[in-house]
Amino acid sequence: MTAKPKTVLVVDDSVFMRDIIKDIFGAGGFSVIGEAGNGVEAVERYKELKPDLVTMDLVMPDRSGIEATREILKADTSALVVMCSAHGQETMVMEAIEAGAADFIVKPPRAEEVLAVVRKVLGVA
Amino acid sequence: MAVTPPDSARYLALYVAEAAEHLEALGRDVVRFEQGATVELVDSMFRHAHSLKGMAATMALEGTEALAHRLEDLLERLRADVHRADATAADVVLQAVDVLFTQVRAAAEGRPLPDAGPVVGRLAALTASLSPGEGPSGAAPGEAQPAPPPAASSLGPEAPTPGRVAVRFHVSPGASQPAVRGFLAYKRLSTLGAVVGLEPALDELKAGRLPPRGIRLELETSAPEAAIVRTLRTVAGVELEAIGPAAAPAPAVATSAGPERVAPPTIRVRAELMDAFLEHAGELLLATARVRALSRGVPEAQRPPIDEALDRLHLLVKGLHDEVMRARMTPVTLITDRLPRAARDIARLRGRDVELVVSGDDVELDRALVDALAEPMMHLLRNAIDHGVEPAEHRRAAGKPPRGRVTVAVSRQRDRVVLEVRDDGRGIDVERLKALVSARGLASPEALRAMSEREALLLVCLPGLSTAADVTQVSGRGVGMDAVKRAVEHVGGTLELESRVGEGTTVRLSMPLTVAVVGLLLVEVAGETYGLPIANVCGVVEVSPGAPAPGQGAPLVAWGQGVVPVHELATLLELPSSQTPAKGSPFVVVEGERARLALAVDRLLGQHEVVLKALARPLDLVPGLAGVTILGDGQPVFILDVARLTPT
Repeated sequence: MTAKPKTVLVVDDSVFMRDIIKDIFGAGGFSVIGEAGNGVEAVERYKELKPDLVTMDLVMPDRSGIEATREILKADTSALVVMCSAHGQETMVMEAIEAGAADFIVKPPRAEEVLAVVRKVLGVA
Repeated sequence: MAVTPPDSARYLALYVAEAAEHLEALGRDVVRFEQGATVELVDSMFRHAHSLKGMAATMALEGTEALAHRLEDLLERLRADVHRADATAADVVLQAVDVLFTQVRAAAEGRPLPDAGPVVGRLAALTASLSPGEGPSGAAPGEAQPAPPPAASSLGPEAPTPGRVAVRFHVSPGASQPAVRGFLAYKRLSTLGAVVGLEPALDELKAGRLPPRGIRLELETSAPEAAIVRTLRTVAGVELEAIGPAAAPAPAVATSAGPERVAPPTIRVRAELMDAFLEHAGELLLATARVRALSRGVPEAQRPPIDEALDRLHLLVKGLHDEVMRARMTPVTLITDRLPRAARDIARLRGRDVELVVSGDDVELDRALVDALAEPMMHLLRNAIDHGVEPAEHRRAAGKPPRGRVTVAVSRQRDRVVLEVRDDGRGIDVERLKALVSARGLASPEALRAMSEREALLLVCLPGLSTAADVTQVSGRGVGMDAVKRAVEHVGGTLELESRVGEGTTVRLSMPLTVAVVGLLLVEVAGETYGLPIANVCGVVEVSPGAPAPGQGAPLVAWGQGVVPVHELATLLELPSSQTPAKGSPFVVVEGERARLALAVDRLLGQHEVVLKALARPLDLVPGLAGVTILGDGQPVFILDVARLTPT
């Protein structure tokens, strides 16, 4: 059975971080179909690409990850947004979860943890 | 059990706070009730009246107890026959609520309770007229309730009687941020029903204090256990330990004794105590910064352990400060919940037909801001309905729908909360406004001519003008705009107006999320240090600007995909410029009031988190200053109000 790979939009203001996350997804059999470097772009790209999942950095210029998450969920209540947080940002992640984020991963991202989380979220464990 | 007078003082504050909450909720219910009565709604109203009655009895406030009791009687009767609920009923209930409010206030101030005779009479008369046999349905109070009208069926499908399920799970060892994992699982489970028990308490859970025996959650839900298990499985990093039916729920009548009804425990804290916490946490931050500054004098070899200890201290203090800030966050519903009732009253009084739409009330902001904004928001609402929205016949004549529309929208934008009050009324006639300002000698004709439309609209905020009765006709904006503007600016907010004649007016308040801690970019200009709020800073550029075309305005610097105009910060601050203009000096690109601009500064001094101190007179009158702070080395630094640095 070869299911179509699940599609992912990676949002982070750091190109470096986006690359790392993209590589993890690539190795895990996901297809990264888009990237965004800020919250405004994230919302636009989401609407355009309709990915199965979004990874969302918390702190970005031009609209925070939490704001962008709210916007995306407003546009599509079934959107699956996984927050990318760093140590010390627990409170913000909880705020994002309150806003409807599906789950979270922690920077620096560990491949097995990232994949375990997104597989759970997508129900493809 | 009545509280004897000597004791009652201890409970009075709590009584007043809680009674006011019930009355506010009851008032909100009435407004919804007017749009369509349902059994659920009347039930809710009944519960509020009932709770108040019990509290008043405990406080030996007989007048309030008696009035609440009468209200309860009426609501009980209405519940049995909601179809007979009408505008008269709503009016009487609101009147009772208002009298109850005055009684609660009187109790708070230790005055005798105002007489409730007339409203008690109206309540009794209405209750009698709704007696069984008087109407089409003869159901007696307490009997089976009629099915809710179709309007209420959208509230949800008929759910089977919910049961209680106890779930025990733990966060997998080694999971990152276990507190957030636990919270996520809690959050996910709470979508299935009502969480009626949680161990550890939510605050403990969020703070990461997870007991080794795992997290125990009790859910009142109609979802089958299998669904709960499935839901928990979608959360990575948590493991289910046990699931099973919990102890039967306590019967509804025994709620006061129900030991399980302790969902997330909360305590009430006096507001001034919260202020003191914040003040102290802020001072701790400053003190830590001061110690760090002093430690720079220590010989290099001894620095590492000191730095390490300081890092730890800073982390702890910062954590404490964040927690205090979080505890102060209050839902904006404290303001917006009052608006529908107020809108109704104003519209009735002024004979307007107005629909109020409130959106975005899930936003939270600092308690101090909620307090500061309550009155201005009410003012803006009053203005929008009273002075903005025209009477129905005028609207019809102008080809508008007879019913006016006022929208209150709250949204979070980056580090700010934006509150917008928009009406579709007559709008502000800028030319006539200018004429009026000129006639009153509040501005020179030249100044008025030079004004942009945006500036001219703000003329309605001129103190000498806004109390004038004739402004109402001219501007569609009436009293107290100066007070609104002052109140908003006092807490670091800004006010903007947009208006079109015949189409309506929008007032936009942009507020900081919190009042206390701001991130600053420190810059040096003409030998002085100034702070620019990080919230306004888009970035920093360190290149020479493009050569300015002679006499063609400000030079430009490349930024992102475009260019932004460069301005000397020294010039904007009217300081002597210490350098030849912008020769390789750094630029800070900021979000100005209308557009981005690049501020040329002499030096960048780095980023700091500081506790904002309000400016004392007369400094608070200086435009362009947002506040002051004390740096770690004891040096005071002015914080610039970037939005208002816009060059003229």
